[in-house]
Amino acid sequence: MLELQTKQQAKPAVKKRKWLDSEGRWGLLLVSPYLIHFLVFVVGTSVASLYFSFSDYDILNPPKWTGLDNYEKLFEDPLFYRSLWNTFYFTLLYVPAKTFLALLLAVALNQKLKGLKFFRMVHFLPVISSWTVIAYVADAVFNQRIGFANAFLTKLGIAPQNWLIDEFWVIPVLVLIAIWKSVGYMMIIFLAGLQGISSDMYEAASIDGANAWQKFWRVTVPMISGTTFLVIILNTIYSFQNFEQIFVMTGGSTEAGSTGGANNASLVLMLFMFRQAFSFFKMGYASAIAWVLFLILLAITLIQFKLQKKWVHYD
Amino acid sequence: MKKRRFLSVLGLIGLAAALLISGCSSQSSTQQGDKVELYMGYNSDPPTKKKMEEIISKFEQSHPHIKIKTMTAPYDDFYQKLTTQIAAGNAPDLWQSDGTKVFGYAQRGAILDITDYVTKEINKEELNGLEFNKDSDGKYWGVPQGIQVGALFYNKDLFDKAGVSYPTADWTWDDLKAASVKLTLDANGKNADDPSFDKKSVKQYGFAFFGSSRGAFNILKAYGGGVLDPTLKKSIINSTENKKAVEWMVDGMQRKLFPNPADLKAFQSNFKAFLSGAVAMQIDIYAATTSMNGAGLNYDVAPMPKGPDGKRFAPVIANSWVINKKAEEEKVKAAKEWITYWTTSDEAQKEWTEVGEAIPVKKSVANSEMFLNPATKPENKKVFLDTLEFAGTIDTNAVFTEWVKVFTDNLAELFMDKYGTDEFITKTDEGIQKVLDDFFKKQ
Repeated sequence: MLELQTKQQAKPAVKKRKWLDSEGRWGLLLVSPYLIHFLVFVVGTSVASLYFSFSDYDILNPPKWTGLDNYEKLFEDPLFYRSLWNTFYFTLLYVPAKTFLALLLAVALNQKLKGLKFFRMVHFLPVISSWTVIAYVADAVFNQRIGFANAFLTKLGIAPQNWLIDEFWVIPVLVLIAIWKSVGYMMIIFLAGLQGISSDMYEAASIDGANAWQKFWRVTVPMISGTTFLVIILNTIYSFQNFEQIFVMTGGSTEAGSTGGANNASLVLMLFMFRQAFSFFKMGYASAIAWVLFLILLAITLIQFKLQKKWVHYD
Repeated sequence: MKKRRFLSVLGLIGLAAALLISGCSSQSSTQQGDKVELYMGYNSDPPTKKKMEEIISKFEQSHPHIKIKTMTAPYDDFYQKLTTQIAAGNAPDLWQSDGTKVFGYAQRGAILDITDYVTKEINKEELNGLEFNKDSDGKYWGVPQGIQVGALFYNKDLFDKAGVSYPTADWTWDDLKAASVKLTLDANGKNADDPSFDKKSVKQYGFAFFGSSRGAFNILKAYGGGVLDPTLKKSIINSTENKKAVEWMVDGMQRKLFPNPADLKAFQSNFKAFLSGAVAMQIDIYAATTSMNGAGLNYDVAPMPKGPDGKRFAPVIANSWVINKKAEEEKVKAAKEWITYWTTSDEAQKEWTEVGEAIPVKKSVANSEMFLNPATKPENKKVFLDTLEFAGTIDTNAVFTEWVKVFTDNLAELFMDKYGTDEFITKTDEGIQKVLDDFFKKQ
C-alpha cells in the first residue's frame, strides 16, 4: 500500500491525468464480475423491491402502482406489530447473552490447555451443521414427550413444559438453541481479538497487583472493545434476519403458511415477510416489510455506531 | 505495451462472450427443424422423478416431433422456483400443479383457460376428477394428473389389541368417538373409559386430524357446515352445524381422545403420530400409503364417517396438468398432446400407478386389478374409488393458503383451550371474510 502511494506521488504530473490510468482500468476489469454482480443483484434488486413496495404485486402479474397503500396497511396490521415485537424480543435476549458467552468461551479457550484444539473444534461443530440437523438435536432436548428437559423437570417435581409451542417459552428456547448453534463462530472472532493483546499489558497489570478478575475487566475487555463492537453488530443483524431456524423449528413446511408458532408467538419479521411473498402472493406488501426491516436495522446500527465512541477503544 | 492492451481486449471479449452465452442459453435451441421443444415442470422426489423420466422417454418415442425439457424440484422448492419463473416470464409451457393451487394460478391469470380442449377432446366419462378443476363459471383450468382422495386410515394391530371391531362404511363420527375411547391408552395401559385414566400421560390416541385436507374441514362438512359458500367468496363459518361439529372436536380434545396441536408436535411431524403407531385412526389421503407401507404398518382404510344427518364428506385434491398462458401456440399444441397421452395411454397410467403416488386418473386403470391389487396394503383400495362419489374439494380458491392459515391458527387456539367455541366462530368468520374481501373486492 505504502509503495503504491509513493509510486503514484513520484509520477510527475506532466501529462494531464487521465480519468483512469492503465492500472485503474485493469483493476476495474478484474473486479468487474463483482461489480456487475453488485449492480444487478444488489442495487438492481433493491431498487426493484423499493418500487414493488409502492405497488400491488402478486408476482404473477405486472405490479400496479398504489402509492403508500402497502405501508398504510402495514402500520395497521396487528401481525406486523406482533412480528416486530417478537423480533425485538429475540434480539434483546440473543445479542447480550451470546456476546457475553462467546467472550467467556474465548477467554477460557485462550489459555494454555491440553486438548485446546479439540475444545475449539467442539464449539465450532454446531456452526457448520445445518438447521435441520440442529432441529433434530434440539428436539432430543425440548421434545415434550421424550426430551431431556422435561425428564429433568419431572424429576424435580415440576410439571413438564410445551417448550416450542408454548407462547411463553418459544422465543427464549429458540434463542437458547440459536446461541448454542452459533456461539462458536463469535468465539473465534473473539479469540482472534484476544490474541492481538500484547502480553506486556498483563505483565504490567500483574506488577501493579491486579488479580485475574481485574485483569479481565481492566485489560481484556477494553482491549478487545473493537472486536466486541463488531460481534454486537453482527449478532444484531443476524437476529433480525433469522429465518431458517424459526421456519424449521416452529412450523411444518408441509402445510403452507402454518409457520410462526402458536398464536404467532414466534412470527418474526423475516417469516412474516416470507409468508406474505411466497405463500400469499403479496410481493408488494412483502417488499414494504423488507424496507421497514431495513430502515429499522439501519437506525439501530447507526445508533450503535454513535454509541461506540463512548466505549470502544482503537489504538 | 501492445501486449498489455491485447490482453485486456482479450479479457473483455471473453467476459462479454461469457455473459452472452449465459444470458442466451435459455432462449437458444427452442426449435430444431420441425421439432417442438416443450418445457415441462413437475415436483418430484427421486422415485417419482425416475418414473416421470421413463414416461417422458416413451412419449418422445411415440411423438418424435416433440422434445421435452424438464424443470423439477422437491415440492416446496418447486413452487417457489415456479413462482419466480412465472414472474420472470420463463416458466415452463406446461406444469403439474398441486390441486389446491390451480385456482390460485387461474385467478391471477397465469394459466390458460382450456375449456375448449377439455370439452372437445377429453372423454369426461373416462377420467376421474375432471370436475374438480372447473370453476364456478364453468371454465376448466387443468386436467388431472393424479387424484388424491381422503379416507379413514386405521391401524389394525391397535384395534385387535383393544378388541374393537374395524371401522365400517356405516360409521358415524360418534361411532368413531366411541371407538376412540377404547383405543386411547395412558402410560399404565388404562383406556379413556377407566375412572383412573391419567389424561396427563396419554401414550396412545384414538384418532388424529390436522391441517386442511386431513383436518377439521371434513368434519364440519359432514355435520352440514363448512368454511366457504359455493362461490368461494364468502365465509359460512358462523352456523349452528359448524358449532356442533366444533363442539364434537373440542370434547374429544379435552378428553384426550385426540391429540391437540401441542401433543402432535411431540412427534416431530404431524404424520409421525399415526406412522409410529401412537394413534389408532387418522384422516389421510391416498399418497400417505407409500410412507405407511414403507413403515411396515398393518393398516387399512374405511370410508369417512357420516355426520348426524347421514351426510358424508371426503377431501379430494386433483393434482393437474396446467398450461402456461404465455406459451406459444405450437407449444400449447404439444402440451395438449402430452395431456392426451397422459390421460389416455394405459402404459403411462400404469407406470405412474406403480409409484403409488396417486389414484390413476383414467377410470379403466383405476378399476383394474393393477391398482386394486389386494396383495399390497391397504387391502380396501376400492374405498378410494367409492369415496370419489361423495368427495369434494377443500374450498380451494385464489387465497386458499391465506384463509387456511386463519382457520388452522384459530383452531389450534381453540384446541389449546385459549378460548371457547363461540369466540372461535366469530373470530374465524371475521378473519376469513377479511382475507376473501381483500382479494375479491379488488377485482
